[in-house]
Amino acid sequence: MAASWITPPTRTELIENLVSGVDRYNPSNVSILEDYLYHQIRSEEYDCLANLAILKLYQFNPDLYNPDVVVNILIKALTSTPSPDFNLCISLLDERPTNARLDEPDPLPFLLPSLKNLHNLLYRCRFPAFWACYRSDELENLRDNYTVECAGFENAIRDVAIRAVKATFGRITSERLGSYLDLNGDELESYIQGLGWAADTATGVITVPPNPDNQIEATIVQENIKLPQIAKVIAHSCLKA
Amino acid sequence: MSQNRMALWNAEDMEEDVDLSLALGSYGQNFDDAHLSQPQIDESAFLAMQQHMAQQAAFAQIPDVVKGFIVHFHQAVLDNNLAEITVAYESGWNKYTEKFYSRSEWPEAEVIAPLVNDDPIFLILYRELYYRHVYSRLQPDIDDRFHSYENSCELFNYLLNSEGPVPLELPEQWLWDIIDEFIYQYQVFCTWRSRVKTKTDDELITLAEGGPAWSSYSVLNVLYSLIQKSKINDYIIAQQQGKSPEEIAEIVGEYGQRPLYRMLGYFSIIGLLRVHVLLGDFTLALKVMDNVELNQKSPFTRVTACHVTTYYYVGFCYMMLRRYTDAIRTFVTILNFIMRMRQYHTRSYQYDQISKTADRMYALFGMCNAISPNRLDDNIANIAKERYGEQISKMARAGPEALAAFEELFLYACPKFITANSPPYEDPAAISMILSPTSPTESPTKSTAPQVEPTHRHLTLFLADVTAQAPAPTLRSFLKMYTSLGAKKLANFLDADEEEMVQELMMMKQSSRQLNRVPGNEKGLLDGLVIPTSDLDFVIDQNMVHVAESTVGRRYASWFIKNTERAQRIHDELRSLPLPAPQPHQPVPEQNKRVGGVPKVAWGSVKVA
Repeated sequence: MAASWITPPTRTELIENLVSGVDRYNPSNVSILEDYLYHQIRSEEYDCLANLAILKLYQFNPDLYNPDVVVNILIKALTSTPSPDFNLCISLLDERPTNARLDEPDPLPFLLPSLKNLHNLLYRCRFPAFWACYRSDELENLRDNYTVECAGFENAIRDVAIRAVKATFGRITSERLGSYLDLNGDELESYIQGLGWAADTATGVITVPPNPDNQIEATIVQENIKLPQIAKVIAHSCLKA
Repeated sequence: MSQNRMALWNAEDMEEDVDLSLALGSYGQNFDDAHLSQPQIDESAFLAMQQHMAQQAAFAQIPDVVKGFIVHFHQAVLDNNLAEITVAYESGWNKYTEKFYSRSEWPEAEVIAPLVNDDPIFLILYRELYYRHVYSRLQPDIDDRFHSYENSCELFNYLLNSEGPVPLELPEQWLWDIIDEFIYQYQVFCTWRSRVKTKTDDELITLAEGGPAWSSYSVLNVLYSLIQKSKINDYIIAQQQGKSPEEIAEIVGEYGQRPLYRMLGYFSIIGLLRVHVLLGDFTLALKVMDNVELNQKSPFTRVTACHVTTYYYVGFCYMMLRRYTDAIRTFVTILNFIMRMRQYHTRSYQYDQISKTADRMYALFGMCNAISPNRLDDNIANIAKERYGEQISKMARAGPEALAAFEELFLYACPKFITANSPPYEDPAAISMILSPTSPTESPTKSTAPQVEPTHRHLTLFLADVTAQAPAPTLRSFLKMYTSLGAKKLANFLDADEEEMVQELMMMKQSSRQLNRVPGNEKGLLDGLVIPTSDLDFVIDQNMVHVAESTVGRRYASWFIKNTERAQRIHDELRSLPLPAPQPHQPVPEQNKRVGGVPKVAWGSVKVA
């Protein structure tokens, strides 16, 4: 999991060189990375380190700053919760001086609180509240101008919920699961089928397939002594003998 | 300001011209300038004379022992005599600082120049020490800040852009201090620069013309250049592959073979780690460490200050990456190391700094342990409790007090974060807007709000994570009492909404799985596997919570091993002691009486009498 986060299999060699080499500091490469971000948005790919490289360039070169790119990066980062990606992005967003000359007003200061709130809800597994907030009128701008462009955004958020459910539940009612996924009726049914999870249509209870996280076991960790630990004691007694 | 400086330098060169001195090497450019600016000569000659007299007066004031020390120091550097340089650097300099310069600057480099035949390289090194002393003991003014930057640039220029590797040798400790100080001064400059409101008009003008001094790009450039020049990454990889010294020499080339460049290269990697953390880039910080093996055996651990710095920043990165177990392990490793080393380095001039960093790491350890309870090392946990007991007990409980304790410890223990860019000093309009008191009508737009300190930004993010985890301790304490209980019942206990509580349980479950570095599987510090980090596990079956607890059996064996080793050591020591000389018989009864207790002595002595 960590390995594909550090180096996603979809990352091209060109991007790899930018992410891992000193060329990442070269402002003229920002457009390559920005294009790559838009490619991620269209193709449901995700490359956190490459996106952080964009933010790094913005940090050092305020002239490059493009608020739309930042918003898109943050949206992509949302989908990888509970990894700390979203916070890592925010960490790199220095306060910018007021004189950043843009043609239009900067949308980021208005969207940032909403995005932070969405992240907070996701991180705390408040999925129903997340959907309510996401669908609210106040976030119309975010939906119509940004997330709509991000292919598979809603399903990516559902994946976040599914990851949490898989770890926590043995069985879950379809009503509860539906509230986490913001789905009901046929949509929910076909989504569950897509996951390959068994649903009892009579009771509406869905069985989550067993995985290491939802199989619990009480264990007693016993002390396990290895030879090197007692080597000193043995060596000492040999010396004396 | 910069023009003033130029004139002063020209004047110096003029003087050297008269004396037919050397110093052409690195000051060559200025020398040419002096010739080009003919019309100024009279004025600058006059300045030069004034300067010369002032310098003579200053020179006369230098105590003879200090003069002797400088001459000796210079000779040691000329001879590349590492032992002598180390003595001069580690004890001589500090000794005379305490004695003569604890509250004032050392003599300026220009003043002592005659003592060292105007040796430009030694003067650069001398200025390095001179400014370091100003920064640590005194208040650097704006000129000091710019001059120390220029001096660092001259030093790195000399190291990197001479023809081939320079024949200089310096102690490892000093090389570390050079890099460490360079970054420290950069950090101090950025912090100072970001406070627009405290600047005088002169300072504002200077900053507006400041140019690239202490820019993030220039600092990174130095560090990356040293890394590339020394081929340190290739060196580390070759070492790990067990290549022979000849092969390694071939790989790293003429620069990398020299200890000076190799050590500077390694220290620059650690420097990058630190710079990236200061700028809030925690992933990149760990990524530059990709090839560095974190262990106690590497030869690079010889410089304790560097070793400690490395672990502090790596541990902090892990904490910000929500990898609390990795953070704890990192802190435990180095804190144990510091404890073991204490007896050796209490006398070192670095000791204060190291123990301050250690204190901050105990605080960070306490925070991580509160978020992700774990019994990795009871010893360290106890020391942390001794130092920060009040905060630690607050953090263990939920509630606003816990948050305040987290905030207090974070602000105390976090690195001094910086903003990468300068406020817009070159734009007088923007600056006057920042300087003018923000009118209430504008503040709601947030655009003119004062710059939020970067530390505050990171603190907010961290506290948000902490707040998200806040329900965990309470839930945990309830779950611990059951093997299974209904979600509704649990919600009733907590006086909470059942659905919300189930979501909190999900959150808790999620945070009990952390990315964790696998020891022995060294593929960079970012890598890791997801493992359960909590001793309490549970699963929800519809509305029933099933709980399972892992317990750690008592560790008898390691206790016995530890004590056997101790007993053997004591036994050995006793055996190696010389036999006690037979004691005269007289004192024995007296001793016996004393054992009886103080009041009886009077009575006893009376009886003897």
